[in-house]
Amino acid sequence: MANCRGTPKQAASTAPDRYSSTMAVLEISDLVAVWDPVTGERLPVHRGEVIARLREVGDERAARIVQRMPVTGEFLDPVAVDRLLVRVHTELQRLNEELHMAQRFTEILVPVLTAVRAAGSRPRIVDIGCGIGFMVRSLAASGVLGTDVELVGVDFNRALVDEATRLAEDEQLPCTFVCADAFALAEEATVYLSSGLLHHFPADRLAEFFRAQDRAGTQAFIHYDIAATRLAPFGAWLFHRARMREPLGRHDGVVSAMRAHGDDVLLSAAAHAGGMDAFLFESPKYTNPFCAAMRPVVGLRPALTGDFRRALGRRARGLVAARAKVG
Amino acid sequence: MATTVPAVLGLLALVDAGFAGFRAATGRNARIRKRSYHLTAARRGFVVGAAALALVTLPIAATLVFTADPGARYDELVRAGTRMLQVLAPFAVPVAVSLPAYWLLPMRGSTFVILVGLGPFTLARPVVVIGATAWSVAGSVDWLVWAVAITAAVGVLTVEPLVHRRWYGAPV
Repeated sequence: MANCRGTPKQAASTAPDRYSSTMAVLEISDLVAVWDPVTGERLPVHRGEVIARLREVGDERAARIVQRMPVTGEFLDPVAVDRLLVRVHTELQRLNEELHMAQRFTEILVPVLTAVRAAGSRPRIVDIGCGIGFMVRSLAASGVLGTDVELVGVDFNRALVDEATRLAEDEQLPCTFVCADAFALAEEATVYLSSGLLHHFPADRLAEFFRAQDRAGTQAFIHYDIAATRLAPFGAWLFHRARMREPLGRHDGVVSAMRAHGDDVLLSAAAHAGGMDAFLFESPKYTNPFCAAMRPVVGLRPALTGDFRRALGRRARGLVAARAKVG
Repeated sequence: MATTVPAVLGLLALVDAGFAGFRAATGRNARIRKRSYHLTAARRGFVVGAAALALVTLPIAATLVFTADPGARYDELVRAGTRMLQVLAPFAVPVAVSLPAYWLLPMRGSTFVILVGLGPFTLARPVVVIGATAWSVAGSVDWLVWAVAITAAVGVLTVEPLVHRRWYGAPV
């Protein structure tokens, strides 16, 4: 049976709190597939409980979507759920392609890695919550980061990791995928990155997430997420309606935009990575919001910041720093 | 006008069918390199669109052969086609400009084109097609005009779901 509240285990691993009672809007994908973050074991999900939870927050449409999902007894059929999530992530990849997300990461990663190499570190990039690994595979396919870069995608969802691995092998891409907690890998990341992950954390858990990346071997992080603007939910509705077919994907796309954290929330949370300088890059406050539907939080070791700014060139003007470090 | 209007409408329908084929295949292949996959999808859309166009064209030709005054009825069809273009052209021109802009502009400009142009255009397309059909038949009492306009609209709007269901129902 699904655990219906955040657990100490989840807190320890900084996994997104899938059942926080403080969140007014819920993504179906967070509720229908649940893992023990320590053991990685798939937990059975009681369909009735998910539906009740969605009705509790007034989301009848989401409840109807879950009502149509196949069950084994009273529990959601994990195989059917996995197939659905792979379909949704495959559709979602199209949005990432259209928004040039791989180019956006590359734009920041290239100067970051230049600074990292100058500091003598071997670049190892870990994508947290990689899904079917679009970002990692795309960076691997482009080869633009250099042959010395190790690219790793990490996700709790075994089915998504298997799909990412299959796709990478199919195109013979130099990258790997692991079903695990990104912060419990045998080897630390030089650079952590994620795309569309931050809004899965409630605001009061973000600091913990960023603090976890302030570790000895880590030089930087880049986390892209939906820019929290007034237009974001409408834009998300429009694009998910136009580009996605799965009702779950359409629903969660809009909810994601509604849950997106504001610039101030992200910057103050990122400041909890005390050993790093934290920035927002091209926040919609300072740039055309129609060009910045997604914007990243960037963290760097202070020793790298100067080199990073220089390598970024005139784009460095788009960096907005956190006001004060915490911890 | 007698040849330009049907030629432009036919060209629009075929180009639209190619893009409908492309759209039908999107979100079903998560590979990174998929240029040939998209070209195949566009070709399938084009072929299905061409078949739909033939379904519209052949009955027109057959009816005109057996009608008492083919010239008048053809003129009536051209007038309806002109009205259809009055709605379609203002939609097709910005789409035609947006596509090369998306491909050629740098990342931020390209994103801008997607967010304010191509994305909303995709949602607006069925509405535009239905609006163009309604405007084209408005005022005409000729059953042939109504039949041709409605069949053409149905054909245009069904290419994408047909191609999707036939070839792209599940992820590759």
